[in-house]
Amino acid sequence: MSVIEFSHVSLAMPRTKRRQGSGRKHRLRRFAGETSRTMVPVLDDVSFTVNKGDSVAIVSGKPLLRTSVIRLAVGTLIPDSGAVTRTERVVPMIGIARAMGASFTIRQNAYLVGGLLGMSPAELTEKLPSIIEFADLGNYLDRHLRGTPTSTRQRLAWSIAMAVDADVYAIDQTLVVGELEFRQKCWSAVDTLRENGATFLVSSDGAKQYRRFCNRGLYFEQGALIADTTVPKALALAREARREPRGE
Amino acid sequence: MLVLRDLQNQYTKFRLGYLWSLLEPLGMSLVLWLVFSVLLGERALGLSPYLLFLSVAILPWWWFTKSVNASTKIFRRARGELAFSALPPQIWVMRTVLSTSVEFIFSLPVIVLAIVLTRDLPGIYILFFPVAILLQFLLLYGIGLLVSSLSVVIPDLARVVKIIMRAMFYLSPILYSISNIPQNLQTIAAINPLVGILGLYRIGWWPEEHTSVVALVISLSVAAALFIAGIYTFHRLKPRLLKEAK
Repeated sequence: MSVIEFSHVSLAMPRTKRRQGSGRKHRLRRFAGETSRTMVPVLDDVSFTVNKGDSVAIVSGKPLLRTSVIRLAVGTLIPDSGAVTRTERVVPMIGIARAMGASFTIRQNAYLVGGLLGMSPAELTEKLPSIIEFADLGNYLDRHLRGTPTSTRQRLAWSIAMAVDADVYAIDQTLVVGELEFRQKCWSAVDTLRENGATFLVSSDGAKQYRRFCNRGLYFEQGALIADTTVPKALALAREARREPRGE
Repeated sequence: MLVLRDLQNQYTKFRLGYLWSLLEPLGMSLVLWLVFSVLLGERALGLSPYLLFLSVAILPWWWFTKSVNASTKIFRRARGELAFSALPPQIWVMRTVLSTSVEFIFSLPVIVLAIVLTRDLPGIYILFFPVAILLQFLLLYGIGLLVSSLSVVIPDLARVVKIIMRAMFYLSPILYSISNIPQNLQTIAAINPLVGILGLYRIGWWPEEHTSVVALVISLSVAAALFIAGIYTFHRLKPRLLKEAK
């Protein structure tokens, strides 16, 4: 059963660049900080499906592409052409911690972030104890985020995302951070979820994390889906591409 | 929740906290009252009592500018949240409009104070006051959608909006009354949606403020047009807007 389906998706993203070029005219403009905007093609007619229970790794040399695929899957990006269909709620784990407010307490932040992830206040009140327990933040609950260790942000973000009532997770970049102890806790939580049939879509630059739990690798190059294979094969392709001079 | 975050940010930063949302418009009304009523003497603009006349219009005006100016920055500020939250992005606009509205509601005691000072109780038409608030809220939401999405595509819009707002201050009947404008220009002035709304705010004290129903209809239909334009533009620009998020 497919959970997320990409059909003929194309996407171009804007990129701002500082003005290039030499000569008096250009120098002046560069000095003034003028930027030029170009649209960079990111995906070109990509189709694939993610089935229930899959753990899919997105392998590509370009961070922009990886992030875009994740965001398309979540629905915070709309493709230029083609369509992305989701049959279930997808939990995004993309820079959640950035949305938190420093002058808020941990408890308030939990409600804020939970709300952004689509949970209702009542649902959150019910789950708050387990969230806090997972994050091990019991002592900090009513302290302002500003005065707590930096790792609390990540802990809280993770715990809330795990508490969302969904089976599909889209994870970008900062997969697991923080102290060793907490990291292990996260991994075991992920493993339990996977045993229960949860689906994962992962993008990261560390090969180790892919190997750890993905059973399928999608390798992208130049905006096209080159291979839909196992993780080691996809990683091998990526390594090869890095070794070869680009564009030859 | 978001609204709360806004307010908390605003009020915990300064020592007087909430009092500022009273003091700011109060000070402004007092200065303008001094200039236009005391210093300029009998060349009366607007209607008396001038202090009340002024504060009834200046608070909604304050709300209007704050909200519209904030709208230009919505999506630059909400970038991070936009990237991961699958909630409809209209929420960010709604949040800005709501938090400025709450601020406006908080500042209403200024009007009460002005009533006490001038001992001028409103008539039955005061019932239009909440109607005006509602209309302005809808107008601000529409403009918010329009401005916030456009300013993602055109970053310079924020500056332009600032200038327009300054011009609007003098083009709207805040310092003066609509009856100060020559008769033949009143209908043209009514294109400004604020004319109708400000008129509704004032009608409780000065029923003669709204002599022309035509003008009211014109300015309210402009407001409605802005609302629809806002929804439409926002819908069209949504993919672009999401792309800018990081």
